[in-house]
Amino acid sequence: MEIQLKLYGSSKMLSDKEILNVDLPNNSNIKKLRSALSKIISRKYLKNNLENLSKTAAFLSEADEVINDNYKLKNKELISIIPPIGGG
Amino acid sequence: MTLHTAIVKAEEDKISLEKAKEFIISKKNGAESIFIGKVRNENSGKKVTAVTYDVHDQAVIKSFQSICNDAKTKFDKSSSIFLEHTKGYVPVGEISILIAVSSGHRDEAFKICRYILEEIKHKSPIWKKEHYTEGNEEWLPGHSLRPKEEIK
Repeated sequence: MEIQLKLYGSSKMLSDKEILNVDLPNNSNIKKLRSALSKIISRKYLKNNLENLSKTAAFLSEADEVINDNYKLKNKELISIIPPIGGG
Repeated sequence: MTLHTAIVKAEEDKISLEKAKEFIISKKNGAESIFIGKVRNENSGKKVTAVTYDVHDQAVIKSFQSICNDAKTKFDKSSSIFLEHTKGYVPVGEISILIAVSSGHRDEAFKICRYILEEIKHKSPIWKKEHYTEGNEEWLPGHSLRPKEEIK
């Protein structure tokens, strides 16, 4: 399966595009997405910049609700990644 | 209407102090408090030229409305609140956030303003990328929205 990850903040270093397509095993949850994200960060040599992102990021569903690690992802689902925030 | 929240795209418009002052005017409210946040030219010893603000629009507006309504309930239901935050590339000296509050009394007006600002920093999905005089840039660290007990 594949999900669409909408990038915000520092996670934009992962791609020049707004959305990163992430391949995952079928029936994956957010926990699996974190693990895939960690591998992508290593592969792109971004460990120095995004070392803790896969642990510290929150994720939002299309309904803009924070979703936990057990949330079951659907194929082609659009998920927003929310790195640590700091506006104002 | 006693609440206005918005995200202002920096390349299209600017946050207006006049608009904010006009919005919060009320004959019932004798106290006004205004907080203006601007991009400053230094951070942690680095010379800053601008900040790019990234924003999750829908989630931010939702959080702004929830924070402002909480502030009203907590401090003064009759208060008027104007809250705008910018999005995009903002040079040094320009406004990034404006919170304007009118309330019955000064204490509540100050408290509402402060409460909103602190809550935004911990609840609203907004990110800052600083641009430096040397030409480099950096996303700033922030506060994780993931529950602490889940981060190992």
